[in-house]
Amino acid sequence: MQNSRRLYLILTIFVVVGALGALLWTSFTGSLVYFYTPTEILQTGSDKSGHKVRIGGMVQEGSLVKQPGSLKMRFLVTDGTNRLAVTYEGMPPDLFREGQGVVVEGVWRPGQDFNAGTVLAKHSEDYIPVKMTQEGIARSKENMLRTLK
Amino acid sequence: MMWIELAHFATIIALLMAVVQLMAPVVGVLALRPAWVRVGRQAAYVVAVALTLAVIGVVISFLNHDFSVKYVAEHSSLSLPFFYRLTALWGGHEGSLLFWAWLLGLYTAMAVWRHWSSHPHSVPVVLSVLGAVITGFLVLILFLSSPFERLPRPPMDGRDLNPMLQDPGMVFHPPFLYMGYVGFAIPFAFALAALVNGRITDEWIVATRRWTLFSWAMLSTGIVFGAYWAYHVLGWGGYWAWDPVENASFIPWLVATAFLHSNMVQERRHMFMRWNLFLIITTFSLSLLGTFLVRSGVLSSVHAFASDPGRGVYILMFMTVVLLASFGLLVFRSDRLKSEVRLESLLSTEAAFLFNNLFLVVAALTVLLGTLYPLAMETLGSAKVTVGAPYYNKVFVPIMFIVLALMGVGPMLVWRGMQAQRLLRAVWIPLAGASIAAGLAFSFLGVRHPYGIVCIFLALFVAVSHGLDWGAAVRKKMIAAKQGFIPASSNLIRRNKRRYGGFMVHLGIVVMTVGFVGSGLFQEEKELVLAQGDFVVMGDWRLTFTGIHSVQGSNWTAQEALITAETDHGKKITLRPQKRVYNNHPMPATEAAISSHFLEDIYVVLGEPVSDANWAFRLYRNPLVSWVWGGAEMMALGILWSLLQGRSFKSKKRVDGTGPALQVDPSHS
Repeated sequence: MQNSRRLYLILTIFVVVGALGALLWTSFTGSLVYFYTPTEILQTGSDKSGHKVRIGGMVQEGSLVKQPGSLKMRFLVTDGTNRLAVTYEGMPPDLFREGQGVVVEGVWRPGQDFNAGTVLAKHSEDYIPVKMTQEGIARSKENMLRTLK
Repeated sequence: MMWIELAHFATIIALLMAVVQLMAPVVGVLALRPAWVRVGRQAAYVVAVALTLAVIGVVISFLNHDFSVKYVAEHSSLSLPFFYRLTALWGGHEGSLLFWAWLLGLYTAMAVWRHWSSHPHSVPVVLSVLGAVITGFLVLILFLSSPFERLPRPPMDGRDLNPMLQDPGMVFHPPFLYMGYVGFAIPFAFALAALVNGRITDEWIVATRRWTLFSWAMLSTGIVFGAYWAYHVLGWGGYWAWDPVENASFIPWLVATAFLHSNMVQERRHMFMRWNLFLIITTFSLSLLGTFLVRSGVLSSVHAFASDPGRGVYILMFMTVVLLASFGLLVFRSDRLKSEVRLESLLSTEAAFLFNNLFLVVAALTVLLGTLYPLAMETLGSAKVTVGAPYYNKVFVPIMFIVLALMGVGPMLVWRGMQAQRLLRAVWIPLAGASIAAGLAFSFLGVRHPYGIVCIFLALFVAVSHGLDWGAAVRKKMIAAKQGFIPASSNLIRRNKRRYGGFMVHLGIVVMTVGFVGSGLFQEEKELVLAQGDFVVMGDWRLTFTGIHSVQGSNWTAQEALITAETDHGKKITLRPQKRVYNNHPMPATEAAISSHFLEDIYVVLGEPVSDANWAFRLYRNPLVSWVWGGAEMMALGILWSLLQGRSFKSKKRVDGTGPALQVDPSHS
């Protein structure tokens, strides 16, 4: 009697943990958002078509065009080698500027402008925007996932 | 002007004394010379005093604007208000670590003073363990991350504190968080003492019950302060983003919550002994991990980790030593830890706590996975990924719903076991109440999302089950003591502070959960361009852009918009969102305007001018956010009440009419 109860307990725990593990892993792998530079995403071809991705680089000087009277804008994100046209409608973060680091998130559709749902400006811990010199661009590959805090 | 040297010198003394605190008790115990243990005790007191001096030295350097100190120059400025200079100590890595070590020094002194005569066998080991942790921190502070460094050419003005940190929320968030993190060091040290001495009784659990409760309360409050800060400062309309920095504090909270419950089982039933040791060691290790993840720059980028390889490697080594030593000891001693008592029934309080623990630990693992996996991927160089809110919504939220359901069943269960019919007799009223509420919400409030329905169901289930239990206990008391309702209930709450404090915490968590789900599911967001005189409708509110002007603060200037918000019921308020520019920072910062009400918040963020008279705005209607803060206050009150209970409830008489948990089921006795 004592033993069968123990067996039931162990079985219950086993089933519960197994189910949780399965739920966890499928959701986890399904909700990862991969990060690319413009060069990297252009190399993936159509592999990532329809996937949500993050793309990071520098807002190219002189590329930012705002549509008058609205919150629509278009700009180029560059990693020094390749450029990607990005459209966005909304209020950009305070530190969003030409010549500075940016991370955009949206669904990747090869051959079209990248329509960003979210725009994040990168900045250092002291709330100073990350300057994107050539060296900065190289470093930013490592630094890109700096969050907004 | 020598304050920083005084602080530096005091810290060096503290390090030397911490080593004495670590070694002397070992000598004392091995050589059977109690005098050496007393030396360890005195060393602990000296550490506390020296670190207090060090903290005072750094704070005075901030107050004096001593910009020849690198840490002050980087985190303060001439125009920084007094209040923020006073608290800039924890504005950066170096000072935060010093603050951490200082707290640990104070706690150690308090613990030794309190437990010296009551726990003579544990105290030497506690001294050594805590001495080792302080030593680890002080070596890091003195050699790799010093706040005492002078600059050869002091600047005229400092670089200023990050404007985002110039907010009352950020003044309170780190100290509370740290008071929690550091507090778990005490039960951790007592647990290791029990393992070292091989006297693995329930003594360490009982001795550190209040330390655990206190630390849990501080950690909870600290996390809520952080959320409050994020809500008020970051301007994205939310308070929790599942950001790694936030997760780092939440993971130890989840494990600590499991420990808070399972240690009651050991106190009452002498079960889960190994498990409790495992939980407290894990909690403290995760507290260390949380501190280091946030305060070493590892999280903001892997690159920063590499840019100061010394610090990174040291932190890794320190964590490794702590983990190996404590878990190694646990494994080494595990043969002595066989509990005599077995679980007798699945329908018992201890079984409910077992599942509560299981789910809380799994929840902690899910958050840990989401936090560390991207770091691991990035370090291995295979890919850069982020794990966003969808993962946590899908995985974490259901697990928490299960924990809530267990919370609701809890008060109806008894220790050891009960018959199914008895549970069914008790459970149907809360179940029925909860079902009716969920049905009403579905048909009248128009709640369609499954999480919304489940949340309302569970909230009512927990509230009714706790209310019924309390009501039954009051009725019993009224009959037994022939008292009226008010004296009976106040007596009851005063007699069993721990139980009813716990009830209050549970209700606070329910209120918070309603707030989480309400604001998570029903947030309304609008981004648009407004000209003066334009209006926009959000829920019952009509928001009109009435004007914009400049305002001047002590160390900033701002553009401030005036937004008049009106309802049909004649409520009228003015919101003043700002776009600030701080004197020492080139970039603007957003200051959201928030109007909080019982059922919803109106949250307005000012953007940039789109053309001459047109400004961009982002507006949110956030339902039930004030429930999150209100629930947190209930939780804090409840835990304070529990802390007031002196005796452990084990020493209480078993049947004193304070509810089923203290009764023995006649069918088993």
